Amino acid sequence: MKFEGRCWRFGDNIPTDRLVKTQYVFEPMEILVQHVLEDLNPEFPKQVRPGDVVFAGKHFGQSSGRAIATKALQATGIGCVVAETFARTFYRNCFEVGLPALEVGLNPGFAADGDRVRVDLTTGEFTNLTTQTMIRGAAADPFLVEMLEAGGLISLAKSRPEVFR
Amino acid sequence: MNLVEKILARASGRESVEPGEIVVAKVDRLIMHDLSGYLTSQVYEKRVNTPIPDPERVVMVFDHHFAPPTEQQADVLRHNRQWARKHGLTLYDCGNGNLHHAAVRNGHIKPGMIVVGSDSHTPVHGTLGALAVALGNDSHAGTVLPYGKAWFKVPETTRVHLEGTPQPGVTPRDVALWLVGRIGEGELNYRAVEFGGPYVRGLSFWDRWLFPLLCVDLGAKCSFVEPDEVTEAFVRTLPGAGPDLLVRGDGGEAAQVLRFDVGEVGVQVACPPTVGNVKPVGAVAGTPVQYAELGGHGGGRLEDFRAAAEVLAGHRVHPDVRFHLVPSSREVFAEAAREGLVLALHEAGAMWFPPSTGSNQAYNMGALASDEAMISTHARNFPGRNGSPDASMYLASSETVAASAVAGVIAGRTA
Repeated sequence: MKFEGRCWRFGDNIPTDRLVKTQYVFEPMEILVQHVLEDLNPEFPKQVRPGDVVFAGKHFGQSSGRAIATKALQATGIGCVVAETFARTFYRNCFEVGLPALEVGLNPGFAADGDRVRVDLTTGEFTNLTTQTMIRGAAADPFLVEMLEAGGLISLAKSRPEVFR
Repeated sequence: MNLVEKILARASGRESVEPGEIVVAKVDRLIMHDLSGYLTSQVYEKRVNTPIPDPERVVMVFDHHFAPPTEQQADVLRHNRQWARKHGLTLYDCGNGNLHHAAVRNGHIKPGMIVVGSDSHTPVHGTLGALAVALGNDSHAGTVLPYGKAWFKVPETTRVHLEGTPQPGVTPRDVALWLVGRIGEGELNYRAVEFGGPYVRGLSFWDRWLFPLLCVDLGAKCSFVEPDEVTEAFVRTLPGAGPDLLVRGDGGEAAQVLRFDVGEVGVQVACPPTVGNVKPVGAVAGTPVQYAELGGHGGGRLEDFRAAAEVLAGHRVHPDVRFHLVPSSREVFAEAAREGLVLALHEAGAMWFPPSTGSNQAYNMGALASDEAMISTHARNFPGRNGSPDASMYLASSETVAASAVAGVIAGRTA
């Protein structure tokens, strides 16, 4: 699974409350998607394009475990989310809703806003095409890749119910 | 195997499990609040929509609302009630308390269980010796509701060993906040965190509660205190069957042990913008606050109101401060009334609210203007959590919150 696009860079310790603010939790997805991460970068919800890559620092997606934050990020059309480390419920939610996620460890300054980047989820490689540098993260567990290929957890459970019976 | 591994092995029908393995395990309890329940119900109705075979395992507590302030929020609660009724789920409506306290007080959580919920503080139930993990709404809708199961990666375990004697005036909440600062937010990513050592063993059940509560900010998957006579005595006070699932580890299995002397800890305040920005109270003393609150997932225990009543004895809440008191459950409010704390704190100028999560995320109350500050026992202080992203939220012990309510500025308790 490979993704290539423009990089949107965010910092450390970003909570899900900043992906989807409390006051929007009950709004329909078409409203949510207009506000994703707007406090941290007002251009993001306006300028993000399908296939772009969100690249954050440590403990991305901490705080509330509600999957709506993951879904709103997915609904922007990004191809993949990469972080130094993820908060675990957020990481789990990414695969369960079908949003590819790659954890790459410590890499301050590796890619900046607007750089072209490529992510290969199978090998764990994250390449900055603008600066021609590459780092290798942890390839996702095969169970999670299977979940992504099925289109998320619910699709997996429907296609292979014996796993959960 | 340790407690977490033993619980996962039993619930997945295996002899043993190893860290890093993925298992599918039987879930004993799914707990949801009004927001997570709503989001889960949407996924369930739209994408799964089959009968729920074991509805008695599912507990929903309305806690972000104690009475809906808008029509939209009233619609959310009405939808949740109809959904719970349609499937026969266990529902505690507005005013019963916050999710975790209400689930425990009503006997839905017992040692040895697997407890899941999408509230990120679900791991707090490890205080009882349960394996308690936060899962997303799709897990609940896709596998827990229809099959009673969920997938888990077996975590590695870090033991946080606490010993020593705290200095006078230093509370378990100070120790817990200090640990987040010392260990660092996210530093125990994906781990099971066991709190142990003589300091933890010597604490009451509700003081132990403050440690697994904070593990999510360390990045942990789950956290636990091994059940002992304190756990067992507490569980005997709960409705329902006794602690027949007490699980204990074989000892010595933690992959990593972190040792701390609690004698080093002073009175702490977590400052904006995150829970890990912990400072000694002296570093922020004198900062004006307009709101003080005992409530949220981190507070509203009987212990918090007792502490506040002691601090407020002979004093009044500062005229520039609104001091909110939010019981964590109906049982706590009843006990506070019996002990005379309700009247004492009311007469000192504090304000009682119904059992709920209080101003956590400002669903009912407690939104802050841009230049305002709140000090509370909440579990979180992210910018924009309660109203303006420019407002300041500080987290501290109930003693420090009460002392600040009297002073009108952040202040440690004076003797």
